[in-house]
Amino acid sequence: MKNNNNKNVIIRTENLLKRFEENLVLNDVSMSIEKGKTTVIIGPSGCGKTVFIKHLIVLLRPTSGKVYYKNKRVDELDEDELSSIRTNFGFLFQSGALFDSLTVTENVLFPIRQHIMHIEKKQADELVASKLSMVGLDGFQDYYPAKLSGGQKKRVALARAIALNPEVILYDEPTTGLDPIRSDIINELIIKLQKELGITSIVVTHDMTSAYKISDQIIMFHKGKIFAEGDADTIRNHPNQTVQQFINGRVDSEDLKALKGGKTTLFNDFTNSYR
Amino acid sequence: MIALFENMVLNPIISVGTFARFSGRAFTTSCSSCVKTKAYPLILTQMNLIGVNSVPIVMVTGAFVGMILAIQAYDQLAGMGLEEHLGVLINVSVVKELGPVLAAVMLAGRVGGALTAELGTMKVTEQIEAVKSMGTDPVRYLVAPRVLACLFLTPLLIIYADLMGVLGGYFVGVIQLGINSKAYWTFSAEGVELWDVSIGVIKGFFFGGAIAVISCYKGFTCREGAHGVGRACTEAFVMSFISILALDFALAVIFKAIYNTLWSVKSLV
Repeated sequence: MKNNNNKNVIIRTENLLKRFEENLVLNDVSMSIEKGKTTVIIGPSGCGKTVFIKHLIVLLRPTSGKVYYKNKRVDELDEDELSSIRTNFGFLFQSGALFDSLTVTENVLFPIRQHIMHIEKKQADELVASKLSMVGLDGFQDYYPAKLSGGQKKRVALARAIALNPEVILYDEPTTGLDPIRSDIINELIIKLQKELGITSIVVTHDMTSAYKISDQIIMFHKGKIFAEGDADTIRNHPNQTVQQFINGRVDSEDLKALKGGKTTLFNDFTNSYR
Repeated sequence: MIALFENMVLNPIISVGTFARFSGRAFTTSCSSCVKTKAYPLILTQMNLIGVNSVPIVMVTGAFVGMILAIQAYDQLAGMGLEEHLGVLINVSVVKELGPVLAAVMLAGRVGGALTAELGTMKVTEQIEAVKSMGTDPVRYLVAPRVLACLFLTPLLIIYADLMGVLGGYFVGVIQLGINSKAYWTFSAEGVELWDVSIGVIKGFFFGGAIAVISCYKGFTCREGAHGVGRACTEAFVMSFISILALDFALAVIFKAIYNTLWSVKSLV
């Protein structure tokens, strides 16, 4: 994308490259994300999507390349400087990452207690109730995360991510593990946050229904690179075979052949050993 | 060849470097946490978990140390007709060496194991990253309270161990083996100086600091999965144990030198 000087760009990466020992996970990723828009990142598992969004709040530091937030380079800042920048972000982890020694209320209040000196109990209760009702979990205040289902944990984590009213929310697979109705509630919530509060969302997902519904822009990653980008219609009608296979959830004919071959061989080995 | 060099030389150097940086950060954040009232509830919670809950086990350890020493030393001293000096032997050993070291080893197992397992699980379930993502320094939030609690409470726990060690020795020596009570205490009072008790307690600061920093470091650098957490706990205990012994040796040399410098005149007179 060449609109680097666009004033609406809130996050920008330049030639981002990340290597874990021998493994090249991100290979030269340059991307601009506009303020107030929802960008959806799709791609097969292990293609570097989660690693990429972790770079945006510098939970991981790039091997080379640059990350900018509001035209300020952030990947070289020290942890203290990053702390104040990170308060503008909400991050929804794939697993939820709730603090399991704290109740739901304490989890949601955590970022507030860390950054706002004092909050009255009544005010705190109201705030928690309002955040929880946004994700449909009001009444679960005194539960510990261990007592919640996978989907409920994720929704509490979302309530925690929006507690400080961040400007940007990064969602790592927000709808995975939720039933279709709950998934749609999360979709509606992302849209609502964008429309009402002008929040910028970056969503990593495999869920194409969700991707089409919420996105202003879809970017497909493949083997650590940006493989395709465009709005929902562009991606839906993309001429490339790999893109079509991914969005329609069809297995590659070669993979299928390998799978069938593998199965037969395994079966033969097994039966041969008993002959 | 290069791989071997990397494994044998480079990796250990890198580990020492990361550990030193982690310790430095843990130390500076702990100091700054001391003056922040906001951190006090966290420190108090950890003090309760680490210190208060360890009192019974440390007391039991101390009592057994005193009793065992009395049983073992009595025959040898009685053979020379010196059984009334048993008190000095037990009490000096307990307050100077065995009380502090064994209480610290007990804490390395009880507290160190729990710290590594807790932080290691938080690491593998991304909770430490979650703390970071919300703009909070995980070292300040998770490590500093634990380090401070260990640092301040290990010396206090050692005092409990010492007390029980002294009482245990008294119980076996005087009540079971029938040494004259007055002689036992008189010789003890003459033989044990405030210096002996003090260095035992001062050692507690070093032991406590080492246990906390090592255990937190191992938790923070824990590898993925249940296996990773288990391994981190084992490594934390082994490393804490070795550090306690090494520190004890180093401190023994240092305190001996200090003692000789301060009181050399007295011994000449």
